[in-house]
Order: sequence, then structure tokens, then C-alpha cells
Amino acid sequence: MPSSSRCPSCGAPLGFRPGTMVAVCAHCRSLSARTDRDPRLIGKVADLVETGSPLALGVEGRFAGRRFNLVGRTQMQHPMGGVWDEWYLALEDGRWGWLAEAQGRLYLTFQQILKVVVPGTENLVPGLDLDLGDQGRWQVAEVSLGTFASAEGEIPWTVELGGRYPFADLAGANGAFATLDYGEEPPLLFTGRQTSLEELQIKAGPPQTEPPVVAGRLKVQGLPCPRCASPLELRAPDQTQRVACPSCGSLLDASEGRLVYLKSLEQPHARMFIPLGAEGHMRGMPLVCVGHLLRSCTLEGIRYPWSEYLMMDPRGGFHWIIESEGHWSFAEPIAPGDIRFPEPRQRTVQYKGISYRRFQDVLAKVEGVWGEFYWKVAQGESAQVAEFVKAPVSLSMEVQSQPGGGSEVNWTRSDYIEGSEIWQAFKLQGRPPAPASVASHQPNPHWTKARELGLWLVAALILILGVTFWETVTHRETLIYRETFNLQERVLPTTPGPGASEPELVFFSQPIQITESRKNLEVKLSAPVNNSWVGIEGALVNEATGLVELFEVSSSYYHGSDSDGPWTEGSPVGTVYLSAVPAGNYVLRLAPTWESKLPPVSAMTVELRSGIVRWSYVLLALLAAILVPVFQVIRAFAFENRRWAESMYSSQNTGGD
Amino acid sequence: MRVFYLICLAGGMWLLGSNGFFGREFFGNRKRMEIPPSVRQTPGGYRTFLHNHGFRGGK
Repeated sequence: MPSSSRCPSCGAPLGFRPGTMVAVCAHCRSLSARTDRDPRLIGKVADLVETGSPLALGVEGRFAGRRFNLVGRTQMQHPMGGVWDEWYLALEDGRWGWLAEAQGRLYLTFQQILKVVVPGTENLVPGLDLDLGDQGRWQVAEVSLGTFASAEGEIPWTVELGGRYPFADLAGANGAFATLDYGEEPPLLFTGRQTSLEELQIKAGPPQTEPPVVAGRLKVQGLPCPRCASPLELRAPDQTQRVACPSCGSLLDASEGRLVYLKSLEQPHARMFIPLGAEGHMRGMPLVCVGHLLRSCTLEGIRYPWSEYLMMDPRGGFHWIIESEGHWSFAEPIAPGDIRFPEPRQRTVQYKGISYRRFQDVLAKVEGVWGEFYWKVAQGESAQVAEFVKAPVSLSMEVQSQPGGGSEVNWTRSDYIEGSEIWQAFKLQGRPPAPASVASHQPNPHWTKARELGLWLVAALILILGVTFWETVTHRETLIYRETFNLQERVLPTTPGPGASEPELVFFSQPIQITESRKNLEVKLSAPVNNSWVGIEGALVNEATGLVELFEVSSSYYHGSDSDGPWTEGSPVGTVYLSAVPAGNYVLRLAPTWESKLPPVSAMTVELRSGIVRWSYVLLALLAAILVPVFQVIRAFAFENRRWAESMYSSQNTGGD
Repeated sequence: MRVFYLICLAGGMWLLGSNGFFGREFFGNRKRMEIPPSVRQTPGGYRTFLHNHGFRGGK
């Protein structure tokens, strides 16, 4: 039960439940510390900044089956500008939980007993491994300094007005999150993870339109630029730290509740495809374009620029739409604990069970600034960026130094999207620019097609296999005619006289009965030719119907040897295949031919078979089925080659290391 | 690409099916003709017909 006291400043009731160290009077905003006797007045706190939080004092929720109330809140100033909220949960079992809220994300942590000595903040850098004994191993994600800005309700630690509190955010396995609070000696450890309103069973109402204390921040949507007097429309006035006037290029400070001229920017030329203030819906979120950054990196003397559009979700949180050479991405932050900080040359990182391959490391600089931003953006601001890709997703790790010596690492997930989606979402005029080259995380369109063709291929292979199996089962190769013809006996030994025509040599077979009208035929000519040839002009004739199947077949075999060694050409057996003929009685007319005057062989044998399994047709069908998918796979690999040709981690750019 | 592949598949399956189910052949040195009824009515007439249509004997 909270002990009842009175505010030393105005006398209003002031509650101190067990564990509360300081409390803010809801009437006069005086901050008082708990003592053995009456509360001790510390001073007055500044007004709270309206952050659009869906949380409020008194809100109830549940965590791990235990009920809790939000009883206090501090607002801390980040060195990069902007504030974040820390809410204090009083659980029904008497414990306290710390719920940090920044850019729409929530992290719930509880204080742990730290049994090991941790290094000071001066020895911490993002990516450093920390062994916290019983509390496990962690990686440093951010080393920074929070400045107390404001508070309300009951707070479970001794806060000082204007106090500066060094801290280190840590990332652990499976998305675990921790903070080392260096405001105490020895530092305090809080561990937990990212959570959500749904998980905490907090029924979030709309952001408070009238917070308990009215913030002293910009509440006006339209303000004139102090430099050129152009009207500026601020769409996130409560969170905006910097404004770049699109008219005169002045950089303005918006952190103190009014616009203050800082300096004139030399803005580079950049095409702004999404105008400031453009509203649209993407992925189920209402989005407003509030800022535009032109960033670039330089590799081997070549500058590579890209645009980043800051999108505000009026319900809370920011997202990015990125455009680079006509390629578009939708980007959102990833919880630091979700990805382990990679080693400097580490080739892959794991995120949600998927491996992402390192694409490049660049120093990204801010070249141009237009619109409003929730941090103190500056021209020339730089960050070391490592990009890991698995199309259509790119993960960017940005390591950025902070004013005051801190540094932090931020992971961003970018999903490749088509420009037309942007144009449709924001109802933009014209057409999106045509993409150039291949983006690092552009989906490989050829793989998509190849996968589709693969399904067709499987179906075709099953069909081919089925037909072939059926053929081998039903086709019985049947010899229906065989005869050996003596050529020597039939050739006239004398030469014809002048004017006489060359005598014809023609053989006719006995009648042949063909019973299978749907089976092909094979005519095979066998002759023991030796460096010679013999051919047949043949006709399979149905005297009753007049159907004639004409064919030619030859037996040709040559051999010898030359400087390359022995060689052979042709075969003593020649074959020709005939289409199936209607069942009936047929006669074979065979007219042999050869080169010289005398036949090269004394005899030749002719065979006629039916029901031949023709593997060449199976092969042709297989080729027809495979050719296009193979071509598609080759195109897909060529696309990947073009993608990775741009990477500093491709085998061709690293010498295969 | 999809249409082209479907044409290829159809072509391949047509070749395989025509050959397997109906015994049709598409390649090789062969030709089918019909001998006119008038020739057919003459015993041995097709031999002259073939001869007159360039289908002569060899040596």
C-alpha cells in the first residue's frame, strides 16, 4: 500500500509505494525524494514532451500472469536528440519492472543481481562481448548517455534534475535485451526483451490528446522559416529535432519548442520522388512523408547516392522508404538482440533462422537534408554501414558515433518493393523511374520463373516417363519379314550395247501381312560392305489400297588409317523407320544401288520389324521439357553474377578469399 | 517465356505421343504416296507407276 504524504511544495497528496524513491506531484510538478520523515523537495521538473505514447499512468496490464500498474515515468534525452520514455511497472508481487519506449518499440526489463565486475563505459564499444557470469553472455549494442528531462508519478530510483546517466544497451541471444546502468556504483543490470502492448495485455487507447501536463513543445503545424519566412508544415512537431527548410535550405533546430536557425545548407541536387507531406497506406500502416535524406558512399572513387524518405506512422513509430538507382525498399528497425554483431570480415549473419550474406561495407554520409527529423541530423553525418542480403531482404548494420563519445549500432531490415507499389500507395503522378543495374537485394525474377517452369518440368517428366513406360510394356518388337538377296546372280555380266538403257535390278518380296496398324516399322539393311556402300530404294506397297511408303536405306562402311591412327566411318547395317501403315497385305519393292559396275557384296539382307520403341523421341521430348528450364536457370545464375559483381565480398572481387 | 515453354512441351509431347500411340515417324528418308485407282486395277501396274514416278531400280 502506498504511504500517504504531502507535497512539500503545494501540499497536495503524494503517494510513495514500497520501492518508490522519488515522486512527482501531479499538481505542481515538484519532484520530491522519499525520506524517513517527510518528503524532501528536489525541485520542479520540466513539462513532459508529448511523444504520442499509448501508455499512461494508471494503466493496468499483465506480465507472466501477474497484474501490474504503470505508476511512474521518466523522460530521458538522447545525445542524438529526441527523448525516450521509461515507464515503471509496479507488479502485484511488489517487484518493479522498467518499460522503455522509443519510436514505438517497447523493451521490458527487470533488475538482476550482477555478481561480476563489468568494464567502464570508456572500455565498451558496440559489438564487444561481455561475459556477465550467471547472467550470460551479451554483446554491446550502444554506449551512450541519457539526460533526465522530465518525469511524472512514482519513480523507483533517485533521479536528479538534469542528471546525466551513462548506460550501455546489450543484446543477447534470442532477442534478449539488457541495460547496464552506470548511474550507480557498481552499475545496475536490467535484463529483458522487446515486448508489445498485446503481450502485456495493455489496452492501448489512442495517444493522449490532452496529456496530464501540456508539453512545452511545438503544437503548431504551420510555422514560418525564421530565415526565409516560407511556411513550414511540421507533421511530427512533438518529436522533431531538426528541420531543413525546402525553400532556402536552412537547417533549423526544433528542440526547444520553436524554430531556431542553425546554418545554411549547401543542398545537392536530388530528385524527390515522394514529396514532403505525401500521405499513403503501405502494409496496413498510414504513413506520412516527413523527411528526405540524400546519402551516399564512395567506392573506388565512384560516388553512389541514394535517397531515404522518413515515413511517420501517426499512430507511433517511424519507417523508411529507400530509393537507389530506381530500386525501392521499405525499411524498418530490427531489435538489436535479434542479430549477433558480426566480426569485421564475417561473411554471414543469422536473422530469424535465415542466413544473410555480406554484400558490402561502406561509409555512408548524409549529403542532403529536407523536411523534419526526430534526431539532430547534420550534413556530413556519417555511419559505418555493413550490408547483408538475401533477396528480397537486406539487413543493414549502421555503427554511428554519438556526441559525447558514445556509439551505437542499429540494424535495419529493408524489403525490396516495386516502385509501382509506392506510386500506388502515395498516389504519385507519372511512373516510377526505371531501375538501373541489379540491386543488392532485388528478387531474382528468373528464379521465380524457373521455379514455375520447374513445376511444369516435373509434370512433363512424369508424363514422358508414363508414356515411355507404357510404350516399353506394349511395344513388342516383331520381325515380320526377313530375306537375303543374292546380288551377284542377278547382275548381268555383259555391258549393254549403245542406246540400250542400264538394266534395272529390282527385287519383290512375297506378300507381307501387317496386322498392327498403330505400330511403326523398321527396315534394316545388312550387307558385309568393306570400304564401299550399297543402298536400297524401297517401297512398301499395298496393292489393294494403293498406299505406298517409299524409303531409302543404305549400308556404308569405310575404314583405314592416317596420321591420327585408324579410323572407321558408317556401319554395315542401315536402318530406316517408317510410319505405321494400315493393317493389310503389302509387298516390298527393293531396288539396290551401288557405286561401281559390280556389286560390292554378293548378298544383302533386308528385315522388316514392327513395334519399335524409339528412344530418340523420348530424348527429344526430354530435351523439349528441359531446354527452357535450363535456359531459365542459366539466366538466373547470370542475374546473380551481375548482382554479386557489385559486391566487395563476391569471389571475383576478393580473389576468392 | 511461359508460352514458349508450353509450345516446346506441347511439341515434345506431340512427337512422343504420336510415335508411341500411333506409330508415326517424322524423320528419315521416307515418303508416303497413293497409287491412283486406275493403276491399282491393272495387275502389276504399280510397278510401272513407281518406275514412271522416278522410283527406278539401281544397277
